[in-house]
Amino acid sequence: MKTLEEVFETWEAVIGLEIHAELTTLNTKMFCGCKLEFGAEPNTHTCPVCLGLPGALPVPNRAAIESIVLAGLATNCDIEKHSMFYRKNYMYPDMAKNFQTTQGPIAFCMRGHLELDVDGPAAKERYQLDKLAPGEASGNITRTEDGYVAHVGITRIHMEEDAGKMVHIGGGEGRIAGAKESLVDYNRAGTPLIELVTEPDLRTPEEARLFMQKLRQIYLAIGISDCSMEEGSLRCDGNVSLRRRGTTAFGTKTELKNMNSFKNLHDGLAYEICRQAQVLEEGGVIYQETRHWDPSAKRTIVMRVKETADDYRLFPEPDLAPYDLSDEFIERVRAKLPELPDQKAARYGATFGLSAYDARHLVDNRATADFFDECMALVAAEADGSKFAKPLANLIINDVTAYLNAKPEVELSATPLTPARAVELIRLVAGESISSKQAKQVFAAILEEDKDPEAIVEEKGMKQVSDTGAIEAVVDEVLAANPDKVAQYRDGKTGLMGFFVGQCMKAMRGQGNPKVINDLLASKLA
Amino acid sequence: MAEHVSETDVRGIAEYARIGLTAEEVVTMTADLNAIIDSLAPITEYDLEGVEPTFHPIGDLVNVMREDVEVPGFTQAVALENAPKQEDGSFLIPSILGEGGDR
Repeated sequence: MKTLEEVFETWEAVIGLEIHAELTTLNTKMFCGCKLEFGAEPNTHTCPVCLGLPGALPVPNRAAIESIVLAGLATNCDIEKHSMFYRKNYMYPDMAKNFQTTQGPIAFCMRGHLELDVDGPAAKERYQLDKLAPGEASGNITRTEDGYVAHVGITRIHMEEDAGKMVHIGGGEGRIAGAKESLVDYNRAGTPLIELVTEPDLRTPEEARLFMQKLRQIYLAIGISDCSMEEGSLRCDGNVSLRRRGTTAFGTKTELKNMNSFKNLHDGLAYEICRQAQVLEEGGVIYQETRHWDPSAKRTIVMRVKETADDYRLFPEPDLAPYDLSDEFIERVRAKLPELPDQKAARYGATFGLSAYDARHLVDNRATADFFDECMALVAAEADGSKFAKPLANLIINDVTAYLNAKPEVELSATPLTPARAVELIRLVAGESISSKQAKQVFAAILEEDKDPEAIVEEKGMKQVSDTGAIEAVVDEVLAANPDKVAQYRDGKTGLMGFFVGQCMKAMRGQGNPKVINDLLASKLA
Repeated sequence: MAEHVSETDVRGIAEYARIGLTAEEVVTMTADLNAIIDSLAPITEYDLEGVEPTFHPIGDLVNVMREDVEVPGFTQAVALENAPKQEDGSFLIPSILGEGGDR
C-alpha cells in the first residue's frame, strides 16, 4: 500500500467528522430524573421513561438545553429558536423504547465554524502547502509563517440521548460475532448527548485530529462534559472519501468507527485513505459501508453496509413540545460563556509576551490554564510581575504536565503544588537562590512532602552559593589540583571547560551558582 | 377500496418492526391498512395550502423543561422484574445479529 504522502500526489481526501459528547457534568438524564453515573451497578439508574415502559412521558432537562446552546455559541453557530425533537426508529435492544429521541432537519445549533491552527509537523500532511506564500489563501486555508489556518465549517449540533450498554457473551471478546446471548444495562440509556457534524472541510488526518482536540478544549472550557475518549464520553466517527486532484465531485464515502483516541483518529483515517486509494487504483469500487478501526491490526474492517437514512423513519416526537427559545434564554446562556481557549491564548501573548507555542500549550488543559492565571494574579501587583510568565509557562508545560500525565487520576488543584508555591519556586530561581537543576528537586519535593519551597531549600541545605569569594576559593583549588588539564585547556582543548565546572560543582555539592563558576573559570583560564 | 399499500409494503413494514407475519396475515393486514388510509380520505377535501403540519396536538405549548434534579427511579430488582431472563443485574437477551443505531 502507498504511503499517505504518495496517495496525496494523486488523490484528495475529503473528511467530515461526527462527534458525540455526553453531557457528563449534569446530574440527571435527558428526559427523566435518573442519576447520571459512570460505572454504577447495572440497571440501578432507570425509570419508566428510560426503560420505555408504556405510557411513560419524557420531559427534557433544562440544563442540557442550556449546555447545547452554550456549545453552539462557543463554536460560532447560529442558535435556532424553533426546533423540535424527533423519533429515530430502530429495533435494537440497546434502547428499550425502540427509538432514539434526537432532532430533525433543524437542530438547536446550525452553521458554525472553527479556525484551526495547523503548524509544525502537522502542516506537512497538507499537499503542496509550500506553493502558498504566507498570507496567501487557497480554498478554506490561509498560509501562515509556519503552517496554515483552516476554516472548518460545522453543519450542526443537535441534542439527543445515548443508548444503553450491551455485552455480548458466548462470542470472543464481547463482540457480537458468535455470541449466543447479550447482557443489557440501561444506566446509560437516556444520557444527554450532543452530536456535532462538520462540513466535509477536512483534508488530512492531522486536521481531523486537531479539530477534535480543539473541540475537546472548548467543551472542557465551557464545562459541559468530561470529554473522556477512554470512557466513551467523547466519541468520533469519520466520513472519508477520495477524489482525484483537480476534480470536484465527491467520491463514495465510508464511515469509520472506533477511533477512541487522538492517535487512533489520525491513524484510522490515514489507513482508510490509503486503503481507498489502493482499491480505486486497482479499478475497484468503494462501497458505502461502516468500517471499524482495529488499532492492533492497523487496518479497518467492514462492520455493516450502511442503511439509508429512510430506514430510521424519522418523525416528530409527539410527546415532546416544540421549542420557541426566547432571546432572553439565549442571552442568559451567553452570559455563562467563559473565556475560550483561543481568547485565552491571545491574551497570554498580548499581556505576558508568551509565544504562540507556549500560549497554546497552556490552554491545552483548563486546569493548567487556570493554574497559570492564579499564579499570575499573585504577582500582578508587582512592578515586573509579567517576568514570571515565561518561567511559569515552562514549569507548567514541562514539569507540571509531565507530572499530571504520569498520574492521570490526580487533579492539579488537589496536589500540594499551590499557585503560591509555584510562584515562590520561580522567585527562588530568579533570585539565584537555587539553580534550575535544584528547582527540579524542589518541585518534586513540594509534591511529595507537601511543604513550602523555602522550607525544602532550608531543610535540604540546597541554597545555591552565589558568593563570588566562596566560589573563587573553590575554583582556585580545582585549577591548582589539575595543572595538566589547565595546560591542555590553554593549548586549545576548550572542551575541558565542562570538566572544570563539574569539578567545582562537585566540590560545592551542587550548590554553586553555575553562572558565577563559569564566569570565574573563564576569566582565570584566559 | 384503493390500494395505497401493497403486500410488499406490508412485508417491509413488518420486517422493520420485527413482526413475523404469515402469508394470510399479510393479506388481511394489507386490507386493514388500506381501509385505515381510506378512512383518512376526507382530509383531502380541505384546502390545506399553506397550513403548517400539526405535529403536536397540544395547542401552543412550547419550551416544556424540568430542572436538572435527581428523582428516585427503580431499584435494580424492580427494573428487572418483568425480564424473562436476567444475569448479574442485567437483562439477559438472545443475541441479535447486526449492530445498533447510528449514534
